[in-house]
Amino acid sequence: MAKDSLISHDENDDGIDRAGFLKCMAWAGTGLFCLMSGGVLKTYGMSQLIDKDSGMLKKGLITPKGEFSFVQISDSHIGFNKPANPDVLSTLQAAIAKINAMPTAPSFILHTGDLSHLAQADEFDTLDQALKSVKTEKIFYVPGEHDVLNDNGKQYLQRFGKETKGDGWYSFDSNGVHFIGLVNVINTAEGGLGVLGNEQLEWLEKDVKDLTSSTPIVVFAHIPLWEVYPQWGWGTRDSAQALSYLKRFGSVSVLNGHIHQTLQKVEGNITFHTASSTAFPQPQPGMAAAPGPMKVLAEKLRSLLGLTSVNYVEHNHTLAITDSVLNDVNEKTTDHQ
Amino acid sequence: MQIGKKYIVVAVLGVVVIAGIAATAPQQGEFKNLKVLPKNISSKTLSKIMVDDFVDGLGVSCGFCHVEQKDSHRLDYASDEKPGKQIARMMMQMTIGINKKYFKLSHYQMGDSVLAISCVTCHNGQPRPGEEDAQ
Repeated sequence: MAKDSLISHDENDDGIDRAGFLKCMAWAGTGLFCLMSGGVLKTYGMSQLIDKDSGMLKKGLITPKGEFSFVQISDSHIGFNKPANPDVLSTLQAAIAKINAMPTAPSFILHTGDLSHLAQADEFDTLDQALKSVKTEKIFYVPGEHDVLNDNGKQYLQRFGKETKGDGWYSFDSNGVHFIGLVNVINTAEGGLGVLGNEQLEWLEKDVKDLTSSTPIVVFAHIPLWEVYPQWGWGTRDSAQALSYLKRFGSVSVLNGHIHQTLQKVEGNITFHTASSTAFPQPQPGMAAAPGPMKVLAEKLRSLLGLTSVNYVEHNHTLAITDSVLNDVNEKTTDHQ
Repeated sequence: MQIGKKYIVVAVLGVVVIAGIAATAPQQGEFKNLKVLPKNISSKTLSKIMVDDFVDGLGVSCGFCHVEQKDSHRLDYASDEKPGKQIARMMMQMTIGINKKYFKLSHYQMGDSVLAISCVTCHNGQPRPGEEDAQ
């Protein structure tokens, strides 16, 4: 794989160096593509995969063949119509088109919340209809705080949370990986931090109790389960307890949304990753008076939205998420406004 | 027979009048304990005010004003237990009052896009305006 302008010290010959990695984790594309093969979970920001002029996969792009892959999309905010993006359906459809243009259809989609902006029936309808065109076998959801406004998530549960437990949490297994969808938006702690609550924590402890330590774990929830920026409520008050149940596992990947930008952090056996929004960007932590929809130049908008693709690669019974820089990336990924 | 017809006409008219009154009377909405916002406010309008004016305008989340239910971690939206909720009501009244007094916008409610000032005008994403300057 040829090195692009972001890579200067590729010691492990994996297409990543520290500087390039930091640039990529700061701002990636409109979603995350994840591929799992031989033990390593690889993630690609869609802006790295997609040609910004044609809107299609970049020419000559070779994506690694994984054992299976899935895509994470997040924060679609259907119903939002302010200047930061007056047409959020259009950008969601663009993300869907990018998923459908992938050489290998993802096994499934994870939507990590804020499907709607105001938790209205017509907004949920619109999202539901749009996602019916995605070429994948199944879509899994967890709610964002915008999906549970005024009714504690009753409508969300009826539509997207059937066969789940409590406020909508659940787990499932796919290709030897244990996936856990958590809900941390029904209530929020002081400062806006997410809360999992005792009932869910007790369920989580039981859910993973009988799994072998070599089982790869993927946790997904809306608000980050690590302290991205607590001053803005970008963290979860009782996430430490949840993560304590996962310490014995060799590989744990945590996927979140909420902050509308791609960030990654590795802490021991746990890799945290947040996805971009398909609707509008938010400021980087502490770089504005407050979080919220960030208006950028119209031609820049789609470069700050995205989806996440996950590639699982099995290696020594462990999993890892890595942001890979592809060989034909020439655009600087930190030029947000 | 003629008397019977009269009774039927009167009864039908009565039903029409009662139905008309019921249709025009303010409906009790689905949300409890609303004191400043209209009692028959729609879910969409209420959600829009909560998101635009409070979540984005003050940079807070629902738990800033709403208390947890006694027996679960869900929020009790009707409860007035948290002082912040009463302050929010006073702030909404003040906002409507300023729009009315200084901008002659007499017939508008919170959430109307024509309001000259709204929560974000002063709060600018902060729970307590001015605190960020003091830090």
